[in-house]
Amino acid sequence: MSRPSLKLPHLAVPVPADSLKGRRRSGSIVKVEEVGGRTEELLDRSAYLNINANWVNAKGAWLIHVVLVFMGKIIIDTIPGMTQQISWTLVNLIYLNLSYLMFHWVTGIPFDNELHGGAYDDLTLWEQIDDGAQYTPSKKWLFTAPILLFLASTHYTNYNPWLFAVNLTALIVLAIIPKLPQLHRQRVRFLTGDASGVSTPVTPSFPQMENPTSITDAHFK
Amino acid sequence: MENSASAALEPLLSFLTFSLSTLESGFYKLPGSAVVARYVKSSHQNDPGRTILELILIIFAIRTLLQSRTRADRSGKHFIKFSEKEIDELVDEWTPEPLVQPLTEWEQKDLSSVPVIAGPNGPKPKLFSTGKTVTNLASFNFAGLAGNEQVKDRAVDTLRKYGLGSCGPPGFYGTIDVHIDFERDIAEFLGTEAAILYSQGFSTISSVIPAFCKRGDIIVADRSVNFAIQKGIQISRSTVRWYDHNDLKSLEDTLISVEKERKKRKGPLTRRFIITEGIFERDGEMVDLPKLIELKLKYKYRIILDESISFGTMGRTGRGLTELYNVPASQIDMLVGSVANGLCSAGGFCAGSAIVVDHQRINGTSFVFSASMPALLATSGSEAITYLRNNPSVLLTLQDNIRAVRAVLEKTEGITLLGHRASPIIHFCLRTQQQSLSVTPATYDYEAEERILQDIVDDAIANGVLITRAKHLRGQEMIESRPTIRIAVTAALTKKEVEKAAGVVKTSVTRILSKRR
Repeated sequence: MSRPSLKLPHLAVPVPADSLKGRRRSGSIVKVEEVGGRTEELLDRSAYLNINANWVNAKGAWLIHVVLVFMGKIIIDTIPGMTQQISWTLVNLIYLNLSYLMFHWVTGIPFDNELHGGAYDDLTLWEQIDDGAQYTPSKKWLFTAPILLFLASTHYTNYNPWLFAVNLTALIVLAIIPKLPQLHRQRVRFLTGDASGVSTPVTPSFPQMENPTSITDAHFK
Repeated sequence: MENSASAALEPLLSFLTFSLSTLESGFYKLPGSAVVARYVKSSHQNDPGRTILELILIIFAIRTLLQSRTRADRSGKHFIKFSEKEIDELVDEWTPEPLVQPLTEWEQKDLSSVPVIAGPNGPKPKLFSTGKTVTNLASFNFAGLAGNEQVKDRAVDTLRKYGLGSCGPPGFYGTIDVHIDFERDIAEFLGTEAAILYSQGFSTISSVIPAFCKRGDIIVADRSVNFAIQKGIQISRSTVRWYDHNDLKSLEDTLISVEKERKKRKGPLTRRFIITEGIFERDGEMVDLPKLIELKLKYKYRIILDESISFGTMGRTGRGLTELYNVPASQIDMLVGSVANGLCSAGGFCAGSAIVVDHQRINGTSFVFSASMPALLATSGSEAITYLRNNPSVLLTLQDNIRAVRAVLEKTEGITLLGHRASPIIHFCLRTQQQSLSVTPATYDYEAEERILQDIVDDAIANGVLITRAKHLRGQEMIESRPTIRIAVTAALTKKEVEKAAGVVKTSVTRILSKRR
């Protein structure tokens, strides 16, 4: 039994013609992509309660923000040589960074991962809260907490313009923009190369590129 | 001039100052207003710019607080809210649709063209409609085991001893000793550590794939895999990358690109699988197994090989591609085969190492949730394996017959033969002026070709040869392939009979095609 030859006509017609473009598109510098919207992922998420995202609805979880900020301010104030400006800036920045890390950077779920079969692997905690509904009470609280902190800090100190700008940009970039409903389940990607989705790179042997008249009957003998 | 302008504006200005002062006095009358005024003054800190920014923030916060809640992701975003009256109107207008739409003319014709066989199936069955005996080149009966006397006797004995039903899923009172014997026979036959038996051939591969591939794993699969494999991949929710049909260079490129992607994303190492068929059901091509194993070892993938057609037909004694290419079966991680196709019994199996097989006893969905096969089918399978072991000449006959059919059909004008020269299923499609290499679907008319092929099939049946079109679920498969007629060669017929049958097919083809022209 001799080895099979590979020079046989390709008979299958791939239906989505645009997925064959493969390498012909140039990579963009910035691209906004939606994640986690496939039907099977939606189904897998709705199978069980997600305890990793339900805890933010508890009132204690709301109070803890106030308590932690309070304690943080007191601790930072104990550092010798601390002025009010730097202290408030530090509290602001640490709060914003930690809440960004927790709500908008880390994806996936630590508990009950087997129940959901990886359906939450691409979603941050913010996107998991309340199954993706917007303007729920917890989300409203989480929206206003950093704003209140910022307003309190500007009220109690007199920032020089630089620190004010730092605080304000941190607030907008780390707390306001990621929480906007327009950015729900969107990801900004930089410098993607060829996006390999369902398509694969079109190889030279793929008949599309070959001259159709070059295949003759002799190939079938 | 100025005097008249200022005179005109004067009442307006005085009105404004009056209203402002009333507002101010009214504001200070409210309790707590002094606190607010003091707060705003100290926040302002003589910097209007900051105050404006803070005001914008406050307005934004208040706006956010006042928004109402939107729907969650999973509840349909496309629900339209109807009023009660509209709902009543719609309910009154509603007439129930039939559960099944009435068949179109083509579907009706297609359905009625399926031949009904009176009596047992075999190489020469009798048609119910005409009572004539036809040569069967449509059913999968590669080694001629359909109606084999030895197998039949064993089956009758088993029926007398065990009865018919198996009473449940294999994990729950459904496993009989004959199943365990058959699994052991398959494992010994193939040379693997163990094998597990599934009761339906189609759901075998679509249970094996989700048992091992989960979300986050990577599957690299051939574009032309059969429908069962496509469904298995879809159920598994893994990331799939497709490579060009039977093109190992494309496979290698895909493997390299997957590795590059993973490195770029700095992702963790997940399980990776290559899924392909031994002989493709869609067109009869055969995969180059040694090269595949080489690639698998180089890039560290696991292979799931679907030998539904090649088990029981390839190799010296029918062990499949592993025997044909002299590759030890332990090199293939999950070897899936069909007992229904190769051994003319029913069901399928997955052979591999002991761990692979034991995992499927809990995680193979069709093993856990479907009833096990009747005892007599398991013993028929065991008997078929013994028959293949003792009569390897059957496979030589099969190969002779394949060569004979191909020789006749290759000389036929107007059709193109597909697939490997040694494949027991032979597909042929209509040949157009410009060969079907361009990928735009407009080069062939699917429906017209189907009709022509159906005419050829009907003509061949009228002349005593039973053949069939390859039936696909149009619109449900991933890629659409050109309509073909599928001939399944069998070793139960002699070379002369098979040549005669192929000659009948050839005349049918020429007759129909010349009529069309």
